[in-house]
Amino acid sequence: MSDTASPAPIQDQPPDLPAGKHRFHWVERFADGWAVYRKNIIGRIGLALLALFALMAVASFIPQLVDPMYHPMTGVDPYISHSTGPSLRHWLGTDYIGRDIFSQLLAGARIAFMVGISSALISILFGTTIGMVAGYAGRHTDLVLMRLADMIMVMPTLLVVLILSALFGQLNIWVIVLMIALFRWPGVARVIRSQTLSLRHRPFIEAARVAGASHLRILFRHILPNVMPLALLYMSFRVTSAIIIEAALAFLGFGDPGTVSWGMMLQWVWKTGHMFQASYWLLPPGICISLITMAFYMTGRAMDDVLDPRLRKEET
Amino acid sequence: MGLRPFVIRRCIEIAVIFFVIMTVLFVLFRLAPGDPVERMVDPSMTPEDAQLLMESMGLDRPVWTQYLYYLKNMATGNMGISFHYGEPVIHILMDRLPNTILLFTSAIILSALLGVFLGKIAAWRRGERTDMLMTVGALFCHTLFLPWLALIMIWFFAYHVGWFPITGMVTPAVWIDPDAGMISKALDVLHHMALPLMTLVLTHFGSYLLIMRSSMLDTLKEDYIITARAKGLTEKTIRDRHAAPNAALPVVTSVGLSLAFSINGGALTETVFTWPGIGRELVFSVSHSDYPLAQAAFLLIAIVVLTANLLVDVLYAYLDPRIRY
Repeated sequence: MSDTASPAPIQDQPPDLPAGKHRFHWVERFADGWAVYRKNIIGRIGLALLALFALMAVASFIPQLVDPMYHPMTGVDPYISHSTGPSLRHWLGTDYIGRDIFSQLLAGARIAFMVGISSALISILFGTTIGMVAGYAGRHTDLVLMRLADMIMVMPTLLVVLILSALFGQLNIWVIVLMIALFRWPGVARVIRSQTLSLRHRPFIEAARVAGASHLRILFRHILPNVMPLALLYMSFRVTSAIIIEAALAFLGFGDPGTVSWGMMLQWVWKTGHMFQASYWLLPPGICISLITMAFYMTGRAMDDVLDPRLRKEET
Repeated sequence: MGLRPFVIRRCIEIAVIFFVIMTVLFVLFRLAPGDPVERMVDPSMTPEDAQLLMESMGLDRPVWTQYLYYLKNMATGNMGISFHYGEPVIHILMDRLPNTILLFTSAIILSALLGVFLGKIAAWRRGERTDMLMTVGALFCHTLFLPWLALIMIWFFAYHVGWFPITGMVTPAVWIDPDAGMISKALDVLHHMALPLMTLVLTHFGSYLLIMRSSMLDTLKEDYIITARAKGLTEKTIRDRHAAPNAALPVVTSVGLSLAFSINGGALTETVFTWPGIGRELVFSVSHSDYPLAQAAFLLIAIVVLTANLLVDVLYAYLDPRIRY
């Protein structure tokens, strides 16, 4: 759909058309895509899992309202000061100082969405802009930007963030999000660049140029709508890697101490030496991290099918 | 372009990248809050030793001179003295390097081979139950959270079943024993390596399998496969000798692209299994504010990643002459 279906309709319209017409086109595109997506079993499972995690994230505000002892970070059961197994009072048991594991698990879902989506949005923003500029400008700009991308691409993000936290001390969760985003744009930029290269000499771009459109206008009005679907597809993969990196960082003990993430929970099990005794505590966070990355990965692959008609045929 | 000019060009590119990484690290160490001298010289050293170390690193000179000293010291391997071990950093890291290379390369090669082998079969039986099972299994393994898988491995195979040791790389008793031959020592290391290796291979082969499968499906549509069929070759020959070698090329590319990801995983694996490698040393030094060790470990990891990248590129250029444009 990105380049084969019909990129022309929007661009052929005069720029001052009422906004409604544009929106109508987007809705139609979305409906078409959804029809294909719905047929994909992997995509349906992925979406269902994501809905479940979203529900968990929303529900994460409830436990501490029921009783302050269920607060994931500061709530301590007055009668329990060590790790205990699942019970009616604590559905998944308690951690080493008597905090409720279930409410920590819910809070972790919130952090995972927050980290994954915000970091992915930022890196998509960078990647798309840089990729479009590199592909459109060509020559030296292209060369410099792509070499920069190559350089960042070979760096192991986790270890880079690790060394930064050694130098700058304990990192805030938003700094971590930004760091992950800053090191994850090159992959997106490369794909968007090659897409832009193939669009650059299409008749509708030439027409816009002849009509006197500025470079910025061509980039953001004419090229951006056509690379947007691809950027969105990459977003789901970026969410996955952001969640994994944050979790790994927290697991190693360099997460934001003010947040309860699933990686942090695993770190507590591991560092307090409960991993052999407390499987009720070891299993849930790991299953959640694995499942949420799988869910985003599955939705990404299903979206890939929607965007690439060639793949769609192969599956049947 | 022949193979040699291509290799030389890639070497130069990689040297430039490494130079930039080194420079950025230098700048970061000066930009960070706190005293840069305190970051390189252990506060608990005697004044005389500290003075000597500072002079050898040029820490009493202006920043530009410091940078030149830094480059010179990197070239000669004088990377400072570890706060924790009290030994020159380079000795510690050179001791750990072979362990990392052993675990890392065997993990990458094994997972690529496994991915290619299973992906080949999945594509050959496309649409059947085998294909479905393999694809789902690969997707599942690929998305497992590595440190957690490592913990589960230890919990199950080392603690419950007791087949493998829980941590470390060697059993001291075996290595101290003067009668122990090379074989028993090698077996001991293998025994310790089994779990970390399994963890790395399990989390890596999935993506290679998926890539091999889709690449193989494309290859099977090519004309030369039809020709091979028309010639009356056996199915096995077509699959293994005509289709698979060509289909495996994208896997090589993806090994190169995922190297950074693999070294992240390597560091996590080493840390959980207390495998004495560079990745674990980096994590350790960061949590103990051992700056000279952290800096050197990071640079050494950068060298490992870049070299591995170079090797993959050369392998690819060797396998596919079209790439040497």
